[in-house]
Amino acid sequence: MRFDSTGFLALLRREVLRFLRRPRNTFLPPFITNVLYFSVFGVILGERINEIAGVPYILFILPGLVVLGAISNAFENTSFNIFHGRWNRYIEEVLTSPLSYQTMVGAYVLAAAIRGAIVGILIALIGAFFTAVGVVQPLYLVAFGVVITTLFASLGVIAGLWADDFDDLTMLNQFILRPLVFFGGVFYSLNELPETVQQVSLLNPMIYMVNGVRYGFLGVSEVDPNASLAVLSALTVAVLGLDIALFQRGYGLTD
Amino acid sequence: MESAIEIRDLRKSYGDVQALDGVDLTVPEGSFFGLLGPNGAGKTTFINVLVGLVRGTDGDARVFGHDVQEEYREVRDRIGLAPQEFNVDRFFPIREVLEHKAGYHGIPKARASERTEEVLKRVGIYDKRDTRFDWLSGGMKRRFMLARALITEPDLLILDEPTAGVDVQLRHELWETIIDLNQRGTTILLTTHYIEEAERLCDEVAILDSGRVLDVASPEELMDRGTDDVVVQLREEPTAVPDFAALDERVDAVELDGTRLVVTARQGGLVAPDVVRRLDDAGHEIVDLEIQRTSLEEVFVEMTRAGEGRATPEVSSQ
Repeated sequence: MRFDSTGFLALLRREVLRFLRRPRNTFLPPFITNVLYFSVFGVILGERINEIAGVPYILFILPGLVVLGAISNAFENTSFNIFHGRWNRYIEEVLTSPLSYQTMVGAYVLAAAIRGAIVGILIALIGAFFTAVGVVQPLYLVAFGVVITTLFASLGVIAGLWADDFDDLTMLNQFILRPLVFFGGVFYSLNELPETVQQVSLLNPMIYMVNGVRYGFLGVSEVDPNASLAVLSALTVAVLGLDIALFQRGYGLTD
Repeated sequence: MESAIEIRDLRKSYGDVQALDGVDLTVPEGSFFGLLGPNGAGKTTFINVLVGLVRGTDGDARVFGHDVQEEYREVRDRIGLAPQEFNVDRFFPIREVLEHKAGYHGIPKARASERTEEVLKRVGIYDKRDTRFDWLSGGMKRRFMLARALITEPDLLILDEPTAGVDVQLRHELWETIIDLNQRGTTILLTTHYIEEAERLCDEVAILDSGRVLDVASPEELMDRGTDDVVVQLREEPTAVPDFAALDERVDAVELDGTRLVVTARQGGLVAPDVVRRLDDAGHEIVDLEIQRTSLEEVFVEMTRAGEGRATPEVSSQ
């Protein structure tokens, strides 16, 4: 049976409408949070901090905040929606349909990536309100944007299938995702760290994402953007493959 | 005729619990088939294997010739399921829930909207189309479950306790809808606790108990296996009556209480003329005659009694 575009679009539409129709839950929180970030870290503290990598501090942190917002929302969308669907069993509407497992995963992931991208753009626009924001490498920015939102949307699928409780999702977000992002070079330059800590930091995948997006916006990066993009793309494909395999096996979905 | 459902030695275990223990079953295409069994008999597990919500441990399960796991897309495209539990997306108005469901089955949006209107009108909740599921009454929720199962125009409609908890009027309305669908060629697989429902609607029923199929037959055939009471009211109290039990092997017992004679027999309808003739021959005047047929419920309870302790029989009639 060939790819079912009608089914794919139906599920995609449902998942997109789900976040578009509750902006108070999906777009208002990152809006407020990032206004606060830019006000406090960018304006109030930023004026007391020297340029980093040749750019003002407020501009230096902008790409990291875009990454933080984009990946958090992409991750939350798939993880919450899949888990909530399992919890209330309405995911069975999808599971009992003739959609292929690839189509199911594809629609969930794309919807979440779209939400992540919208939040990322929203944060960039908030940044533009505080300072002049340019895009030096637009293709890299788009490429990194697509890859990191897709990657975290795909990771969210695993979380949504794995979680037994809402607390599990909160734990993943608060105790794993956010620390990785905060130690991922959002607010500081790797060069300011001691050599050993720098080396350890390179194990954090967020470093490559933040620097990749920073390269798109500012044209500066502390790691090779091409290598980062290649590794992140490969990781995204691998996680997507794992998502599909888990759906096929019925992990968290069937008895 | 092609089989709508073909099951061979289907097994499903949860640890030490054997939910399905070698089920063999054939449901002919176009039939109205009932699945009866006490709680825990394996009815819902059986249905969930067909739609992919449960994976069988062993055995072969096919729907319209397609393997439920290997050819899951073909199978699921032809099934409409109204489960017992409400598993509905409560975020969207019910109209959109139906449009989404139709979309998953490859029905284009314009056609999906038309179908949504049709099925909501058919089950009588069209005026609630912009309401979320949570705000529907209990009866409307049941109607919606049927509407969702019908939205894709399935060849096989699976109804798991479709009238549980609804009032008599709605139950009859739902029956009419289902009967109409069956007459138009849709195969129906029905599980129910309401034995009368199976008795009225089904061409054939399978009695399932502790994960095994005990019997498959028409409700009539099953009822013939029970005993009926031929109740005869005589004008005067007799001093003796013919020994019906000795004269007819179908007769199980004869009880005389004043002028009221009760002959308990299998196939009471066939035994009754003999009883009347013999009483007449013996000079007894009959003033009233009634045949109290055994119910499918009584047969069901009798058949599943052996399973007591393994499962909890819970049947009810209206």
